This record gives sequence, C-alpha cells and structure tokens, in this order.
Amino acid sequence: MTADVYSNNVSFTYEHADEPALIDITLSIASGQCIVLCGASGCGKTTYSRIVNGLIPQFFHGECSGAQRTCGLDTAIEPIDGLTPLVGSVFQNPKTQYFNAKVIDELSFPAENMGLPPEAINKRIAKTARRFSIEPLLNRSIFHLSGGQKQRIALAAATMLSPRLLVLDEPTSNLDAVAIEKMRELVAQLKAAGMTIVVAEHRLAWLNGIADRYLVFDNGRIAHEYEAAEFLALSPGCIGAMGLRALDLQPYRQRIAQLESQTASSFSESPTPLLSTRNLSIGYRGRDGFTRTIPDLDFHAGQIIGLMGHNGCGKTTLVRTLTGLIKPASGTVLLNGKPAKPRELTRAGFLVMQDVNYQLFSDSVREELLLGLDESDPANTKHCNQVLEDLDLTRFADRHPMSLSGGQKQRVAIGSALMCGKDLIILDEPTSGLDRYHMEHVGELLRQLAAQGKTVLVVTHDEELAAGWCTDIINLEHNEDASKTNS
Amino acid sequence: MRSSLPVEHTASTTLTPIQPPVVSMTPGAPTYSGTADDCSTEQPGHHIRAVRTLDPRTKLFLLLTANLMLFFHVTVTTQIILVTIFLIPLVVAGRWKLTLNFALTYAVLTGLGFLDPDALGVPWLHVISALAVGCTMMLPCFITGAYAFTTTSPSEFICAMRRMHVPESVVIPCVVVIRFFPTIAEDYRQIRNAMALRGIAAGGWGLVRNPAQSLEYILIPLLMNATNVAQDLSVAAVTKGLGHTGMHTSRTQIRLRIIDWLAMIVVLIPLVLDIAGVIQ
Repeated sequence: MTADVYSNNVSFTYEHADEPALIDITLSIASGQCIVLCGASGCGKTTYSRIVNGLIPQFFHGECSGAQRTCGLDTAIEPIDGLTPLVGSVFQNPKTQYFNAKVIDELSFPAENMGLPPEAINKRIAKTARRFSIEPLLNRSIFHLSGGQKQRIALAAATMLSPRLLVLDEPTSNLDAVAIEKMRELVAQLKAAGMTIVVAEHRLAWLNGIADRYLVFDNGRIAHEYEAAEFLALSPGCIGAMGLRALDLQPYRQRIAQLESQTASSFSESPTPLLSTRNLSIGYRGRDGFTRTIPDLDFHAGQIIGLMGHNGCGKTTLVRTLTGLIKPASGTVLLNGKPAKPRELTRAGFLVMQDVNYQLFSDSVREELLLGLDESDPANTKHCNQVLEDLDLTRFADRHPMSLSGGQKQRVAIGSALMCGKDLIILDEPTSGLDRYHMEHVGELLRQLAAQGKTVLVVTHDEELAAGWCTDIINLEHNEDASKTNS
Repeated sequence: MRSSLPVEHTASTTLTPIQPPVVSMTPGAPTYSGTADDCSTEQPGHHIRAVRTLDPRTKLFLLLTANLMLFFHVTVTTQIILVTIFLIPLVVAGRWKLTLNFALTYAVLTGLGFLDPDALGVPWLHVISALAVGCTMMLPCFITGAYAFTTTSPSEFICAMRRMHVPESVVIPCVVVIRFFPTIAEDYRQIRNAMALRGIAAGGWGLVRNPAQSLEYILIPLLMNATNVAQDLSVAAVTKGLGHTGMHTSRTQIRLRIIDWLAMIVVLIPLVLDIAGVIQ
C-alpha cells in the first residue's frame, strides 16, 4: 500500500502563539482515499491541511517537529513549488484565492509557472474545462462570477497539473446547497479518477458516500478516527456531542419547508409590522444589473425571519434595499406603516455583514459601542454597560475589536446596532464557516434579540441554523418569477 | 536625454537573461522538459487582447515619463500638452468617466494655480494656489498610473515584466499589488455602507466635514482586511507555483506594435523639448 500522506509525530506551534496548534499527529493516508478532517473551530484541522500541502513550514512559520512526507517528499526541506505539480489546494474564501482576472488565465497560471509549453497548456485547459463543465465561463472575468462558480474554478485550477493529492480547506463554507451539490459531484469524480483527497470541513453532509475515513480533531490531537461506515452509523446526538455538524440534512430541510409554508399562509393583520414591502421591485443598473419583483412581505417585532434561496436570487440586493443602501427599482418599503425614504431605512436598520471586519472602527470594544454618542452622558454609559453585559462582552470591553474572534466581533457589531437603537437587525450569513457550537451561539443570540423586541432577518444557506432558530422562512428562489430579467 | 531612454532598451542591453538558480530535482517530482521558451512564444489564433490598450511596457513608459515631468519641473505648457496626451489612451480604453474626472480636476487645479492672490488682494489664496500647483504636478503620475493599473491584467503584467528580465522578487509583489486594486474598490464600498448604517460621516459631505476622522474610519478596516486578503492571495499563488524557480511560460501574448512606439515617441517629444528649453 502506498501512502500519499505520511505524518509521524508531527507537532506545530504558530509563531507568536502560546499553545501548540497540533500535537503528535501520526497518520498515513493511502493513495486514492478521501479523508475528512473535522472538529470544532480551532481544533487544528486547517493547520493539519497546511502541514499536508507544505504551506507549513514553508509559508506559515513556527516551531515544527516530527516528520512529514507528502507524495514522497519531505516537506521540511522541499521548497513548496516542488509540491505544486503533486498537490492541488483549494481554500475557504472564493473571493481571495484566484490570482488572475480571467478564468482562462487562472487555469493556465499553475501550468505557466511550471514552464509548460503553451500548446500543452491549451490542451490541458480544454480538458479541464470539459471535465468541470466551465467552457462557457473561460473568457469571463472571475470577479463577476458567483461564489459557487468561483469555487469550481478554484478546484479546476488546482487540478490543472493533474496532481496526485488534493487538499481542500473548508471549500463549501460560503456556498449554497446547489453549489455544494455541484462540488460533491466534482469531488466524487476526482476521487474516481484516483486522486487522494484530504478535506478539512465543518459541513459534513455533502461528503457522505465520498469519504473513506473521518478524523475528529480536538485541541490539536486526533481524538477519534472512524471508518466511513462506522461514522455514518453514529447517532445524531453523538455527532452533536463532538461539536460536529449534522450528517443528514433531510430533517432540517423538512422543518424549513414547514416553516416556509407557515410563513406563506399566516396573515396577521393586527399590529402594524415594523417593516413591510408593497409591490417592491429591486435591482441595480450596470454591467451585471438586474431587477426582480419581491412578493409583499411583512416583518414584525420579535420575529426571526430566515431569508433563503440560492446565490444570485437577490437576497443581498433585497437586504440592501431594506436598509436603504440602494433605492428600490419601484414600489415602496413601509416603516411602521408609513412609506419610508432610503435615508430613514438606513437609520432604522442595521446590517451585520458577512465580513464583519468592515464595520469595526474603534480602538476598544467600549469605544466602538459609544461611537457617535455622547460619552459624557451617564445614560449612554449605563446603556453601554447593559449592552456589554447582555452580549457577554464585559470581559472584552477594553480589548481592541480586531483582536477578538469572529463570533465576538459579530457580537460587537450587533452591540453597536443596539446602542444606536436600531429596530431591524439583519445578519448576512452569520454562521458561514462556524462549527456546531458557535452556530448554536449565534442562534441563541438571534433569539435574545427577538426577545428584546427587535425584528431579526437572517440571510443564510445554513439549514441547521434556519431550521433550529428561525420563526419564519422566506425563500426568494421559490418566489422567483418571469419578471427577473438580466439586462 | 540619457535618463529618458525607453525602459526596454535599458533592460535588454544591461541585463543578461537571469538564469534560475540550480534546482535540485527530488526523485518523484515530475520534471517538465518542454520547449520552455519564455514569454516570446507566438501561437496562432489564441488570446488576443479584447480591449484596445497599449502594451504593458508602453504603459510603464508613460508612467516613467509622468515621473520625469515631476522630476524636471516641466513648464505649464508642456504639462498641459502631456496631460492631454496621457488622457487619450484612457479614452480609447473606454474609461470615459475616469478621463472626465481627471480632465476636470486638472483643469480646475491649473486654473487655481494661475490665480494671482496679490492682485486679488486675498493673501491666504497663496496657500490654495500653491497646493493646487503641487497637485497638478502629481496628477500626470496618477493618470498614467490609473491607466497602467486599471487596463492591464495580472497575466499581461507578469509576462511584460519577465520579458524585461525584471527579477522575480520584484515581479511577485507587483503582481499582488495589481491583483489588489479591485479588492480595494470593493472594500471601500462595503466600508462606506457600514459607515452609513452607523450614521458615521454619512452623506455626500460627510467625509469632507471631518476629513482626518473619516480617513481613520476608512483606513483601519481597509488595512485590516488588506492584510487578510494579502495572506490569502499569497497562499493561493504560492501553492500554484508562482515562486517556482524554473523557467515560466505564458499563453498571453504581448507585442510592441507601431502604435506603442508612436505613443512613446509622442510623449517623449514635449518632454525633451521642455528639458532642452524650447518650450518656455
């Protein structure tokens, strides 16, 4: 049996870190196998994937011990470009892993770097494009593709040199269900072609039937190791106890469908909704411009509304329209029953962006919450302390927001919205790339906001979050009609 | 005149092609023994630049000329001539809005520079017209820079720099920077949205009213994000062999055409005439 990945007592501590990220990993992965690395955030699965593809120790520095051989090469001494033709890598963020503007340039990039003659590159491009059905995209700009398409291009580029090993680091964390299904097909196909595949992943359901072995990481060690059959036979409770995401999404999907039909049929006339849309049509002009109509929606205080649908169905545009960041194409948005101008909507609503780093501006958490308010007013300081307490941020009040974890940053952003007295709080993909524990935390937070009388709108692809914590579901994809036009 | 030789000449005459350091090939690593004939491979019918722009090397030459204008303190006449010339390729590339913005800014600033504060009896105008003159001197660099960076794809740039035998340690950071620009524009929009939602410096005049503070609010998230993006991009590039020590090839073709040589000569003439003292 040949092993493509062989680790013996590998330990690693990142530069400037106190705790080791990996401790004594001993493992061998046979050729042609698909291995899933799972576990809670910070458990070491991404770090191990970097050990495998040689980014550690060649790119990420730190203290490394033990022996690591990838495709027969010792990663400690082999320069990383020696591994390029043998190992293809795909990473988490679709937006930041392509280097060229055009799809075709991105595909030829690794081959050009290896010095292949142009005719050979063209042949490989043709072959790869056929395999991944991306021929129509070849001359498009990658900037204008959807997240799912970008990830498909990334996978295609990673296989351009026909590597023996593929390392995928959370490749689906930004994708919708349709794109994940596509990813599943492609990965299955690559495995069938004999490639060894190592996937570090939170979302496990899509790997059923592809994975041969599951490794559960915990605090830098391999806590459990399962053959696929053993792992899939584990009860949902057992999977949950290990902090892992569900293996079977069917019950969650059923629950979502049920919530959606309830939402569609319920018709409460009594209190005035905080926000409602009437004959709304959204869109924007420009190169990728489009418009589409939105069914009349009502958002009440205390509701947690899940906004779902595949990428590109207009979720983000709707959210931007509801917060007044763009003007509606036609129709009206009512705030407390009165037609509202975009400016008023911006004042009433708040959007927690998917990349929360954009919305933190101050040196400390407390200042962040008090930004724009009169700090000398005791009422404000009191309110601020209360918000810090509610969001479990008191311990971090004097820390720099950028030094916090992703979830903590999210809470700071929400805190700033509460300080401004916003009534509508919208979260864009708050659980992408989160493990079960942190996802549940976000869910609790949504519930807490709703209990305070806020209207909460969550844009999400995360079935587990939507099924577990939303009170209503709107799926824009199901309301799509012929009015959607690309101009 | 010596200092304004075309970039390509200096590069090709002074440098022997840089030989890659000896690569120790480990057993197991496949070696690609193809005809690795640098960037100059011509192949029929493939990948012709769709947008009408100049060769990347010509763009760099324009940028160099703009810098020389600053260096030699050219007269206003020369400046006006050259700025007009620099704006032409931008229009040809279809960047109407950008061209118009640059043209208007330049016109206003030049106008301000011509003001005579003493004659008008408002001495504090000196500050403004001095600032305006300073800005007009920088503007040619911005124009040519914007042209070079917004109309060139990273692959063209890599190819151009490799043909000029620029060392890899310069090529890679440059490419990362070029790849970066669109990200910055997108980040800026996101940050402005975030500011609007928080009611910070909102509205058209919001930024102007409190410039230092606004700059801080924009720069901090921008830089924080930039470090993350830079790391991600580098990781992606490194695993795809951007730093590979062997010979690199390119599918993208770049060629200096007659129009490129013409452009270089046309921008050179006013500059030379100015330095020679013909244009006063």
